[in-house]
Amino acid sequence: MKLDDLELEPRITAAVRRGQRFSSVSEVFGVSVLDLQRFTGLSRADVQQLTAAAAASCRRRPPVPALLLHRGECGGLASGLRLAVGCPVLDELLRGGLPVGGVTELSGESGAGKTQLALQLCLCVQFPTQHGGLNSGAVYICTEDTFPMRRLRQLITEQPRLRTDVPPSLISSLCFTDHIYIEHAADLDSLSVCLSRRVPLLLARGLVRLVVVDSVAALFRAEFQADDWLQRNKQLLALAATLQHLSDEFNTPVLCINQVTDVFNSSDRLSPVMSQVSPALGLAWANQLMVRLMLLRLQGVVAQGDQRSALRRLEVVFAPHLDKDGRDAAVWREGVRGVCVCEQRTSCQ
Amino acid sequence: MLGYVSWRHVVVVVKMQRAVSSFPLSSGVKLKLLSAGFRFAGDLQHVTPPKLSHEAGLSQQEALEALQVVTGGGAAASLTAMELLQMEAELRNIVTFSSKLDSALGGGVPVGKTTEICGTPGIGKTQLCLQLSVDVQVPPCFGGVGGHVIFVDTEGSFVLQRVIDIAAAAVRHCSLLAEDDEQRGAMTTFTVETILSNIFLVRCHDYVELLAELHLLPDFLSDHPRTRLLVIDSVARPFRGFDDLSQRTRLLQGLAQQLVALATRHDLAVVITNQMTTRVRGSQSQLVPALGESWGHASTIRLLLQWSGSQRLATVVKSPRHMDATVQYQISSDGFRDADQSDERQAGV
Repeated sequence: MKLDDLELEPRITAAVRRGQRFSSVSEVFGVSVLDLQRFTGLSRADVQQLTAAAAASCRRRPPVPALLLHRGECGGLASGLRLAVGCPVLDELLRGGLPVGGVTELSGESGAGKTQLALQLCLCVQFPTQHGGLNSGAVYICTEDTFPMRRLRQLITEQPRLRTDVPPSLISSLCFTDHIYIEHAADLDSLSVCLSRRVPLLLARGLVRLVVVDSVAALFRAEFQADDWLQRNKQLLALAATLQHLSDEFNTPVLCINQVTDVFNSSDRLSPVMSQVSPALGLAWANQLMVRLMLLRLQGVVAQGDQRSALRRLEVVFAPHLDKDGRDAAVWREGVRGVCVCEQRTSCQ
Repeated sequence: MLGYVSWRHVVVVVKMQRAVSSFPLSSGVKLKLLSAGFRFAGDLQHVTPPKLSHEAGLSQQEALEALQVVTGGGAAASLTAMELLQMEAELRNIVTFSSKLDSALGGGVPVGKTTEICGTPGIGKTQLCLQLSVDVQVPPCFGGVGGHVIFVDTEGSFVLQRVIDIAAAAVRHCSLLAEDDEQRGAMTTFTVETILSNIFLVRCHDYVELLAELHLLPDFLSDHPRTRLLVIDSVARPFRGFDDLSQRTRLLQGLAQQLVALATRHDLAVVITNQMTTRVRGSQSQLVPALGESWGHASTIRLLLQWSGSQRLATVVKSPRHMDATVQYQISSDGFRDADQSDERQAGV
């Protein structure tokens, strides 16, 4: 915002312009009150007026009582809207699904089923809100392999088997492939171009309401050596800030897929000793996340009809509104589904 | 030999000798005052505004302002240590609902001081902030403070579902404790709905919005005099990834001073959360609170939350009144609580 746009007495605006130090309102907060007086030659009361006007213009929204949020009277802010995963067992673990206003990370070993779950979410988002969707499409950014088109087509064919809660006529009326936008970004530069140009356009037009980055780790592990970690941290923070900004601006869930690394030093106080692996990219990345989920591959096999699947477990590592809990799951033709305990006991070896 | 001279007399004499040019007035006004012969604060002692405006050639408004600044309109009267001791005795604390942590803190989080909570992601910083936002509202007849809270969220981790869980648990807890009529009467105003209506949420997306919000906070506090808690979750997020570290240090110092001023002038407990970062020294790396060394001096009390195996520990690392102490806690579905006794026995604590 320009300083001239502030509602101030003309002599204050003139004094600020004469000082030639500030081009935008946000810079006013970069200096102390005494420095402001020195640069502009204004009295303390005038400077207070200036900062008050600048503050009022920078503020997006005055403080809101949480009760109004609860009643849904403040659209956008902490709306409590969730994107369901499509399976009642997993949605119960997540208390509804992915939160709409933050970055969710899904990490796990290769073959755990992360891409499967991400593809499933791209379909779930297209359902109307009463069935846990957001009535919009998804943008899927691949950084490693090419997009698994065949698997997506298989998931679409098998949707009625997964979503037994939705009337079949509704499922067949949705044209899923039309609303999934696929982007490829092989390095950080092309990813930042994608996130700064194409993705905001899709979001602004309401064409998508889910952003998937598969995967984040691939970009950072390949490009940086061990001693470039300062530069790597900067890029990581910049990426996290961009994703958070997109999520806030357009009230959209952002899902980042991450790889895992082995844990050698178990006295690492970053997290409780849970498994042999921990998510990649370290503390700097972890600090920027709202929800951290992990998909583990367990010993054991589950059978369902003519299908067999290795047993998995979806764990909540941390989230502000979720218990540190997990549910067993399996990957079927129709997608990722949680396994109830009774099912598991009868079909597990 | 000098007779006994009280400190107050000495302070007054020193104040009179202060040069007019050292006061925060605009340069034009200072020039006029000096050329009219008013060089020291003592010269302006018994001058009325109309006389000053006539003699120095100032407008009535400018003369009034100058006199207010120079004759100590802003400076508070000095206090003796005895008076301070009496004031300290009246200080209240906000309970955390974990009795061990409350005793380590000397009753709870103190009103009128700044408390910092540091920890890695998922350890429970936001949970403790949400718990305090509910606990500050506990009615005085139950030993609480009965105040309101303004919650500044910079991460988007204020999830209403969780606040409702914690509020409902606190209401249940107090209902069980209610013994006499006064307490039962107070329970009619301590319900989940009233708790939500007394939590004011502000979402800040970057440091400019955060600083703007803090500038506007005194106005909010004069409209809501019952506010007793200010939470900033987290203060680290908007300041990570700053390119100009010296500017960041300056901004943080200004921020720290503002927070202390808010805490003392408006009788608030200021609670801020901070992230952790790794500091590399040679070949050793160590987890330290973020935002640099100088930020360590910002708050009066520092609480460090960390993992030890699968247990959560809270350590009071900095407190003017108590020794360092470490206690174990847990995050249950009801909120922030003492760890289960059975867990403690198992762990051999």
